[in-house]
Amino acid sequence: MASATLYSVSYDLSHLLLGGIASVFPDPLRAWISNGNVITGLAVLIFAALLLAASMLNTILLIWWERKLLGRFMDRRGAMHVGYAGLLQNFADGFKLFRKTTVQPREADALGFFTGPTAYMVTSMILFGVLPISSGWNSGALPLSLLLALAIFSFAPLFIFVSAWSSNNKYSLMGGMRSAAQMIAYEVPLLLAVVAVVIVAGSFDLTTIVYEQQNYWFWGPLFVALVVFVAGMLAEMERIPFDLPEAEAELVEGWNTEYGGMLFAFFMLADYLRSLIGSILVVLLFLGGWTMPSWVPSAATSFPLAGIFWFMLKTYLVFAVFVWIRAALPRVRTDQLLRVGWNRMIPLSLLAVFLAAALVTVKCVPVFGCLPSPGI
Amino acid sequence: MSEMWINMGPQHPMTHGLWNLRVRIEGEVILDVDPEMGYLHRGIEKISEDRHYNEVITLMDRTCYVAGLAWEHLYMLAAEEALHIRPPERAQYLRVLCEEFQRIASHLMWYAAFVQDIGLMSPFLYGMRDRDLILDLFQSYTGARMTYEYMRAGGVRNDLPPGFTDRARKVLDWLLPRFHEYDQLCLGSDIFHKRCDGLGKLSAEECIRHGVTGPMLRSAGRKRDLRRDRPYAVYDQLDFEVAVADGADVTGRYLVRMEEMRQSVRILYQVLDWLDRHPGPVMADQLPRWLGAPYAPVGREGYLLKRNYPKGVGFSAIEEPHGEALAYVVNEGGEHPYRVKFRSPVFANLAASRHYLVGYRVADIPPIMGSVDVCVGEVDR
Amino acid sequence: MQTDELERTLRPSLGDRITSVEAFPDTAGRVRFRREAALDVFRSVHALGFHHLSTVGGIDWVDHREVFYILWSDDTRQYVVLSTDVPASDAHVESATPVWPSANWHERETWELVDITFDHHPDLRHLLTPDGYAFHPLLRSFKLHEPEELEVKARHV
Repeated sequence: MASATLYSVSYDLSHLLLGGIASVFPDPLRAWISNGNVITGLAVLIFAALLLAASMLNTILLIWWERKLLGRFMDRRGAMHVGYAGLLQNFADGFKLFRKTTVQPREADALGFFTGPTAYMVTSMILFGVLPISSGWNSGALPLSLLLALAIFSFAPLFIFVSAWSSNNKYSLMGGMRSAAQMIAYEVPLLLAVVAVVIVAGSFDLTTIVYEQQNYWFWGPLFVALVVFVAGMLAEMERIPFDLPEAEAELVEGWNTEYGGMLFAFFMLADYLRSLIGSILVVLLFLGGWTMPSWVPSAATSFPLAGIFWFMLKTYLVFAVFVWIRAALPRVRTDQLLRVGWNRMIPLSLLAVFLAAALVTVKCVPVFGCLPSPGI
Repeated sequence: MSEMWINMGPQHPMTHGLWNLRVRIEGEVILDVDPEMGYLHRGIEKISEDRHYNEVITLMDRTCYVAGLAWEHLYMLAAEEALHIRPPERAQYLRVLCEEFQRIASHLMWYAAFVQDIGLMSPFLYGMRDRDLILDLFQSYTGARMTYEYMRAGGVRNDLPPGFTDRARKVLDWLLPRFHEYDQLCLGSDIFHKRCDGLGKLSAEECIRHGVTGPMLRSAGRKRDLRRDRPYAVYDQLDFEVAVADGADVTGRYLVRMEEMRQSVRILYQVLDWLDRHPGPVMADQLPRWLGAPYAPVGREGYLLKRNYPKGVGFSAIEEPHGEALAYVVNEGGEHPYRVKFRSPVFANLAASRHYLVGYRVADIPPIMGSVDVCVGEVDR
Repeated sequence: MQTDELERTLRPSLGDRITSVEAFPDTAGRVRFRREAALDVFRSVHALGFHHLSTVGGIDWVDHREVFYILWSDDTRQYVVLSTDVPASDAHVESATPVWPSANWHERETWELVDITFDHHPDLRHLLTPDGYAFHPLLRSFKLHEPEELEVKARHV
C-alpha cells in the first residue's frame, strides 16, 4: 500500500513552496510564512485544487468517452478532428460555451436563474471530495462518508427545480417537476440498496466498505442490490431510458431549456460529474473499489498509482455500460417510470436488504468465500 | 397543475418542420389540440399558375422535401393528361423506380425521426445511413440528392447511367437485412411496446370520416392503396402486397411502414429486371414544340404555337409515402396551367389530430405525431 | 361505375338539382349541381358509398368561381368530382362538414385562398395565411408580377 496520500502530497508541496518563498523574505515575514497554520492552509487549497482539476479532467474525459462509444454504437466515429481522436473537442466546446453570452429571459427570476445551476454544479463537485479513489487518494477517515455522499447527491432535485421554476418557461417547469418526482421516487430504492451494502460491510465509511470487499466483491452476493442501485442511478443521473426531465422530443430540453452559454455548461458538466460519481459509487459499493482481481500479479499490485488505475478502469467500464444502455433503449414515460419506481424497485430493494441480512447471518457463501468481518 | 395552453412549435424538436401544435393540458393529460399551419406556406399552387408546365417540376421537389420524386410523378401524371401527352413505357417504369426508391427513402427518414422521438438514439443514425445509399443512387442518375427535377412532360430527363441496375440491386440486397435489424431494435424492446402500443388510436371508420389516408388508414386494417385499387403508371404489371396492420395505433403504423419498405424492395427488383430487358426511349417523340426545355425562353413563339393546342383537365392520384395525394391541373390554353390544385395526405392526417391526440399524455405526443410522419412542406405547399 | 350509370343513379332523387353529369378523366364523372341544393347532393353522393372526401378546392373563372369536391369510394374504387358554380359577387356555398368532417381544413383553405365562404362551417379561420390577411392569393386578380406583354400583332406571324 502506498504511504503517500493526496493530503500528504499537498502538504509536502505546500511546505516546499512556502519554504522557498519564505527564504527570500526577512525574518518576521519569514516566520509568519513558514508558520505551520499557513502551510496547512495552503496545503488544503492545493488539495482542493488537485481535486477540482482531477474531477474536471475526468468529467471531460468521460464526455469524450461517451461521445466515442456512442459514435461506435451508432456506426460512426464520434469527434475526430480536435486533438488526437477528438480528445480536445470537449475543451473546444467548453471554450465556445464560455465565450457565449448568457441570455436571461426577461420574466425569469434572476436569483434562482443564476444560483440554481451554480449550486447544482457546486454540490456535485463537493461530492467528489468525499469519495475515496484509492488508499492514498481520499480525504481521510470519514466514518459516515457514504451517508454524506448520498445526502449531497440528493440535493440536486431542489436546485434543478429552483432553476426550472425561475426560468419561467412551461417546458422548464414541467421538466423540473418530472425531475423532482423522479429523483424522489428513485431515492428510496437507491438508499435501500445502499443499506444492503452497509449491512454486509458493517460500516458507513466508504474506505471500510472497499476493504470489506477484499475476499470477494459485493456484486455477486448482492446482485439484486446492484440491479436496484444501477437502475436508481440511471434515474438519478437522468440518462436514457430515464431522461424524461430533459426529454427533448416533448419538453425541448426540459429544465434547462432557457439556459445557454456558461450556465448551460454548468448543467452539462454537473450532469456528467454526477454520472462520474454514479459510476464511482457503483465501483466503490459493488466492484471492490481500488482492490484488484486476484489474478493480477503482486508486482503490478504494488506499483504506484495502480489502485487509481484500477479504480478508473472500473469506473469507465461501468460508465460504458450506462452508455450502452443509452444507445440501445428508448425512453420510458413519466407515469411508467414512477410506477416502476414505486411498485417494482422498492419491493426489489427490500428483497435486497433481506438477502444482505441473510448473508451476514450465514457469513460464508459457497462460491465467494467468507466475509472478512461480521458486518452490522 | 391547472389547465394551460402550451405551444409545441414552431421551433420544437417534436414538430419535424415548421408548424405549431397548440396543446391544452391539465397536468400531463391532453385536453385539446389545435395545429397552426402556414409557417411554410410558399403558395406553390399560385406560383404554378405563373410558370410553364415543365417549370412546375422545380416546385414539386420542394413540396415535400423527403418525397420529391413522388410529387414530381403526381404532377406529371396530371399535367400529361391535361396536355394530352403519353410517355413511353420505359419512362413509366423509370418513374415507378423513382417513386419506390423515394418511398423507401421517405420511410427511412420517418424511421430515423420517429425512433429519435421515443428516445432511441442509435437507429436514428442507422436510418440516415441507409437513406444515404438511396440518395447516392438518386444522385447518380438525377444529379441531385434532394431537388431532383428529373421528370418531364412526356417522360423523364435522361436514362439510367450504365451499371445502375447492378448498383441498385446491391443497395436493395443491403437494405433487406437492415429492416430486420430495425425491427429487432424496436419491436424487440419492451420499452418500445410500452411507449407505442395502443397510442394514437384511430379506427378505420374514423380515418375515413376525417380523410386520413396512407399508413395511418392501413394500420387500422383497411386495405386501401391507390397503387393497387386504382393502378397508375405501370403498377398493374407489378406484383406486390398491400401492407396492413390491425392495431390502428403507433405500433401498427410502424409495422405498416416497415412492411411497405419490404414491398417496395420487392417492386424495385421487378422494375430493375424489366429495365434491364427493355431498353428504349425515355421521352415521347411527338412533343409539342412550345413545351421546350425548362427555363428555355418560350416567349412569343411559344404562345403562338400554343394557341391551337387543345384544352384539357388532368387529374391524378398516387399513393405517396404519406398517403393519398391528388393533383388537379386545368389547361385553359396559354403557356401556364390555369389552376393547379394539390391534395396533400399529411394535410388531412394533421387535420384529424384532435381525434387521435386528445386523452393521451404530453409524453405521448412525440410518438403519436412521429407515427403520422408530418412533412410540413406538403401541408403548407 | 360509368358516368351514365352515375347519372341514372343520382337523377331520380335529385332531379334538376344537378345540372349535368359529365365525363371527367380517370374518375366516375363530374356531377355539376346548383349550389342551393349542396347538402342534398352531398347526402345523396355520400349514400352512394363515397365516404372519403379527398379534397375541396376552388377555381376562379374571373366572372364566377367554381368549387369542386373530390370523393373516393372504397366499394367501386373510383373517384367522383362534384362541382358547383358560385357568382364572384356572392361567393358562398353550404359547408360539407356535416356530411364529411374531413372537409373542415380543406374548406378553410379554400375560403382564405379562393375567397369562397362556406356557410355553417364550424371553424372558419385562417389556416395557411396569417390572421387578418386581407388577400386571396389564388384569385386571378392577385398578380405575382405585372402581366407579360403577350399581345402579338398579326404581322409578326
